[in-house]
Formats: sequence, structure tokens, C-alpha cells
Amino acid sequence: MDVITNLAFGFEHALTWSNLLYCAIGCVIGTMIGLLPGLGPLATISLLLPLTYSIPVDGALIMLAGIYYGAQYGDSVSAITMKIPHASSIVACIDGYQMTLKGRTGLALFTAGVSSFIGGTVAIVVLAFLAPLLGQVAFLFGPADYFALMLLGFVCVSLVTTGSLLNGLAMCLLGVLLGQIGTDLESGTLRFTLGLTPLVDGVSVVSVALGCFGIAEICRNLDAREERSPFNGKIRLMPSWPEFKRIIPSALRGSVVGSLLGILPGGGPTIAQFAAYAIDKKVSKYRHEIGSGSIEGVAGQAAADEAAARTSFIPLMSIGIPENAVMALMMSAFIIKGIQPGPNMIAKHPDLFWGLVASMWIGNCFLLVLNVPLVRFWLSIFKIPYSVLFPSILFFCCVGTYSVNNNLDDVFITAAFGLLGYILMRLSLDPAPLMLGFILGPMLEENFRRAMLLGRGSFKVFVTQPISATLLGAIAILILVQFASAVVRMRSGGFSPADQAGSADRDASPAEMIKTSGG
Amino acid sequence: MASLTRRGLGILTFGAALAAGAAQAQPAWPIRTVSIIVPYSAGGATDVLARKVAEGLSAALGKTVVVDNRPGAGGTLGTALAANAKPDGYTLFLGQVSSHGIAPNLYTQLRYDPVKSFVPIVFIETIPNILAVNKDLPVNSVDELIAYAKAHPDALNFASSGTGASTHLSGEMFKALTGISMTHVPFHGSAQALVSVMGGQTQMIFDNMPSVYPYVTAGNLKALAVTTLKRSPQAPDVPTIAAATKSADLSRYDVSAWFGLYAPTNTPRPIVDRVNAAVNAMLKEPGFANFIVDNGGVPEGGTPEDLGRFGETELKKWKTVIEQAGVPKM
Repeated sequence: MDVITNLAFGFEHALTWSNLLYCAIGCVIGTMIGLLPGLGPLATISLLLPLTYSIPVDGALIMLAGIYYGAQYGDSVSAITMKIPHASSIVACIDGYQMTLKGRTGLALFTAGVSSFIGGTVAIVVLAFLAPLLGQVAFLFGPADYFALMLLGFVCVSLVTTGSLLNGLAMCLLGVLLGQIGTDLESGTLRFTLGLTPLVDGVSVVSVALGCFGIAEICRNLDAREERSPFNGKIRLMPSWPEFKRIIPSALRGSVVGSLLGILPGGGPTIAQFAAYAIDKKVSKYRHEIGSGSIEGVAGQAAADEAAARTSFIPLMSIGIPENAVMALMMSAFIIKGIQPGPNMIAKHPDLFWGLVASMWIGNCFLLVLNVPLVRFWLSIFKIPYSVLFPSILFFCCVGTYSVNNNLDDVFITAAFGLLGYILMRLSLDPAPLMLGFILGPMLEENFRRAMLLGRGSFKVFVTQPISATLLGAIAILILVQFASAVVRMRSGGFSPADQAGSADRDASPAEMIKTSGG
Repeated sequence: MASLTRRGLGILTFGAALAAGAAQAQPAWPIRTVSIIVPYSAGGATDVLARKVAEGLSAALGKTVVVDNRPGAGGTLGTALAANAKPDGYTLFLGQVSSHGIAPNLYTQLRYDPVKSFVPIVFIETIPNILAVNKDLPVNSVDELIAYAKAHPDALNFASSGTGASTHLSGEMFKALTGISMTHVPFHGSAQALVSVMGGQTQMIFDNMPSVYPYVTAGNLKALAVTTLKRSPQAPDVPTIAAATKSADLSRYDVSAWFGLYAPTNTPRPIVDRVNAAVNAMLKEPGFANFIVDNGGVPEGGTPEDLGRFGETELKKWKTVIEQAGVPKM
């Protein structure tokens, strides 16, 4: 077995004392970044890049990678406990925070930690066995195919929505409109910038996510009459056996989805979490509970997020193409060290690639320890009184937003989205579909126009490309099946709104919800 | 994170304290951290070069030199910020073909003047672009490409890293000089654009040498020509566009990405001279020079006036290109 020999070779590199130390440092920093609200791996890695100049290249890569996937591990924590998301833990705000409101924070954190471990493990297997092969997948996807993939994402909106479907669609379209702000890629025309320079490059996903979820949630806590505790500092971490059994299938589904989406340029953790959540909501045995704080709602997204973070190394390592901003930073770390990433990276630098894969196994174990048994120590932060905690969270949100572009205007934009988020919350409108529209909208538009440009204005391109034709076919079938089953249910007289309502109102008691969804 | 940042700061302060002792005999500049503004995100080619320059300058000046990434509005945001910074020598700017060649001719509402707002310090390097095509496209030279385009009108698409980038305008210039028809397909950054050329959705690209050449050597792409008047030492067997064709129009074809260090106008001349001397010395050291050559570049150097003159010819050249190609102003 080639892979086994290669892995053994990789462990030789990863298990030296210094590399073990770099891996541990990376994982610890990553976990802390993940825990702190608002701070992301991108800003951290760009800050720490100069410190890696004096480190050998394999150690630097192992440490930076540890920060990246470590941050994905811990990022659910602030979303679950405080509803303050990172770009890649937006979905954890839905079910994870509902679990906290029900006093099940410990279970939610355990689920997220264990699911991340499963997601990480699956992704490492994919990385070890298929990396050289899967790198080529990026070449197969043309603009028409990406368009179809994004469209499939939009069909998922109905699945991510909690509450009324109409409201969900409205929020999604608002997200699409917000995504249009900025400079048009093809013509360079400014759109919806109101003549303001800070809007020329559009609004960053960090601003929208922090504003609509985190800042809005803090405002709501402040205007509640009684002191409403998002989390009281006490947790029961270990689940019961039946609860544990519920984690596994969701986490495995999430791992597969995450591993696949991680490979595609532009895919990555942010989209993977939504896809995993949508799939769980469609196929899980406990789908009627998703949206109101169920284990599946946390497990799938955490696994997908972690898996995607790791497989996003595949395009960089196998064909030298960075698929997101963090990977572009990794690439610059290589270039500074005198290694030009390219199509022969794995063949030319086997020690780097296999060392990285092996270090991911080791990092995975470090992170499981850091995130499951030790998570209660991290959480002692909640013993701080709210009068101190809330301003500090807002402070970190400001630092996090500022650090994306080193631009103060972004902080004000985040504040504006905080206001929007608060208004939406008061109107009981769910910001999750807004986020989905905001992320997918611009990609959908861009790929649609690129495909039309290449097809010289003919719609035929969408059906002549095999991948795009297949995906569009799947979308058509999905819609038809939905429609047919709705008709059948109406005929049999048992039509219940619960199916699309999913989880009803956030304030409804769980007992009531189970009754409605049983419909 | 918190503890590490503190430790990072600790290292910086310690380094600064050491350096302060050494610098006492020198004139009063620099007494604190100097920053080089890069108008792009961390991780791009400009950023990587800036970090190398900062590393070398830190050693030469005895004070920490840091890179300050100020991305936005196609690089014009950070450039304007540098132009309006205090001219006290503590803000430097890594200018390039975009900020000091293309953008002033392309954007209508710039908040800086490439000549009046800056003093040139030193020319660092030029990097040629390469005209590369999909490996299955049945052409092996620039002449064959032109013939193919004439035989198959409207069949060619060229990818670029974005509207208004040098990768876009190189293509527009080629189109204007040869009279062939091809469609511009912009992407976000050259990585995505390269993937589309290798995947065959688009057929060709004019991209910076370091990002495209590894795919040429690996056989994923065919390099037809370099875009400069001289061959690149990194790719000696690839002809220049001017030489690769019998077309007389293309003999004027000369495009490269280039980088130079600038400071806000009115920065004191002694400071400009010190930085100029430091960078010229770095360019003679094998470490820095090899870094540039390994990344497909040609080390330049020279006096501040050399960079000033070069910048003016670039401004004129891109003005002509943008007018001839009919690229709409933004």
C-alpha cells in the first residue's frame, strides 16, 4: 500500500519534537481564536506570518494549518453559547443556541466537538487517499456548473428556514440584494454604494454575520427586563448513550458533504455548513426537531465545517491553487520560504504534504482534548458579570471586523448590520436565509454571467455541460417531488403547515412544537 | 491568542531596545516603527515582496519595518491613504504597475496623483507576463494563434484576474494590435482564471510569470511568448511577443508588472536617500536578489530619479493602451 508507506513517511516528519510542538501551538492558538467571538483564522494567520520566517517550512505549515482547522473546531463554541458566529459557524447559531436556551449547552458543545473530530477524521482519510486525484476535480467545473451548484444551494433555502417559508424567501432575497453592493466584476460599475467609498468593495461576510447574529443578540439581552442568561456557566458535558448515537449519522453525512465542498474553489466551510444542515433537515430521522435545538442540527454542520477546512488544502497542495483567502496566505508562506506552489507540489515536496496529513491526525487528537474535556475551563469566561462581558464581546467584534481589511469603516458597517439584525429580530424574521442569500447570491450571479459570456448569450450552455445538466435535473426533480407530496397531502386532507414551518416560533415550548410537527 | 500577541509585542519591544542602542550615532530617523503600505490583502504577490523588503529594511535601518495591508477599491484605497500620510519617513508605499501606471488612467475619481502625491525612492523589480494557452489548443506560436483566431472568429476567450488588471489590459492591447476578436472573461484573482484556462472553459491568459510558469513546466499549459522586449532568464526558451511574430504591429508590445518603493511627497530627501541606498544594497545581496529571480522577476535598483522617469513612461503607455483598446473608464 502506497498510502501506508507515505503516511509512515509523513509521521516521521510530523512526530519530531519540534513539529509536535508547532502542531500543539497551532491547535491551541486556533482553538482560542475559535472561542473568541469575531476573531477569525485569516487575521490571525496574517498577523503570525512574520513569526514563521525563522521556523523551518514544514513546522510553519503544520502550525498555520493547525491554527486554521483548530479555529474551525472551536468556532461553534461562541455561536452555541452566545449566538456570535464566525463565517463558518453561522448555522451553529440556529440549533446550537436553541439548545443553550433549553439549558443543554454541555450537550451541544460535546456534539460540536465530537462531530468536528469525526469530520476531521473523514477528511484526513480523503486527503491521504484521494488528494492527487481530487485536485483535478477543480478543472472539471466550469461557470455553468458552478451556477447550477449555487442554484441547488438556493433550493436549500426552504430547508434552512425556520418559521414561515415566505419570510425565509424574503430574507434570502434581501441577502442577495446586500450581496450586490460593490463593484461589478465585469464592467467595474459601482452598484448600490450610495457614493460611499467604504462600500466600493461590498460588505464583508464577517460584518453581516456579526451584526445580524451577535450584536443583535446582545441588544436583545440588554432590553429584556429580567436578566436573561444565555448561558449560566454550569454544564453537563457527557451525553447519554441514545443521545450519543444520534450524533454519528449526522456527523458522517456532514463529513462527506464537507469533504466534497471543501475541494471546490469558492466552496469551503462557509457553504458546507449550510449544505450539511439542509441535508439533515431532509433525511435525518429527527428532522422534525431540527431548528428547535436538536443534536443533528449541531452535529452535521460542525462535521461539515471541519471536513471542508481540511479538504480545502487539496487544491493548494495538489494543483497549487488557493481556494480561499486563508489558503492564499498559506501559499504566500510557501513563496516566502522559496517554494513555488504548483501542479507538482506533492511529488516535489512529499515531506511537506505527507507531514501535513500526518500532523492533521495528531492535531485532531489534540483538538478533541482541547474541545471536549477542557471546554469547561474555556467557559469559565462566562462567570464574568454581563456588565463587563458584553462590552468585551463587542470589543472583540470590533477587533475582528477591523482586522479583515485593517479598515475602520468596516466597524461602522458592522454596527449598521447590528441595527438591521435587531430590527429583524424584533420582527421575528430569521437572519439565517439572509446569510445564505448573501453568500450564494454574488457567486450565482457571477457564474451565470460568466457562463453566458462564454456561451455568447445562449442559454444552451447550461444543458450541454454534463455536470450542470445533471444538477439542474436534480433541482427539477427536487421541486417536483416537493410539489407532488404537498398535493398528495392536501388531497388526503392531512395538510399541515408544520412541514414547512419546521420549528414554529422560537418562544414556543418544546412540547407544543413536537405536537405541531407531529401534525 | 491574547498571550501570544503579548509575547509577540514583547519580542518587538526587545528588538527595538537593542536596535535603539545601535542607532544612537545615526541621525534621528528612524526612532520608531516604519510601515510599508501595501494596497492589497496579505498573501498576494505584492504582499510577499513587501514582507521581504520589510525584512531587509528592518536589518538595514535598525528599526522594525512592518507591512500594513490596506486593501480595497482595486488597490486605490491604500494608495490614496499612503498619498495622504504624514511625509515624515515613517510611511512608505509599495507602488506597482496598477497604482502608478494603470489606475490613474482608468479610474475617474482617484484621491491621489501618481506624480504629485509621491516621491519615488527606488525601483525594485519587473516581472514579465506570459501568454499561455490551454494545452489542447492547436497552436504553438503567436503567429499560429493569430491565424487560428482569424480562421475561427469569436472562438477565443481570454481569462484575466479582474477588469482593469494588467492581465486584462495585456489582452486588450494584444487584441487592439492584432485586430483579432476574443472575449474577455474576468475572474476574482489569477488562481481562478488559471483554473479556467487549464479546464478549457477559456483558452488563453496573459498572467504574471511566477503564477503561470509552474503550469507550463508541468505541461498543463503551453507558453507562447513573454510580454517584455527581452526574454526572461527564468524561461530562456520562450520567445518575446515582439520576436515570436512576423506582425510589425506587435514589435511594440511590451508589458510587465513592476514594483517600486515610494513615499508621500515632501518626505525629506536624506530619508529617501537612506532607504534608496539600503534597497540598492539588498538588491546586490544574493538572498534578496535570488528571491526575486526565483519568482520570475528581474532586479532593478538605481536612483530615485530612475524610478520617477520609468513611472512617467508607464503612465503614458497605459494611457495609450486604454484609449486604443477602448476600455471604459471606471
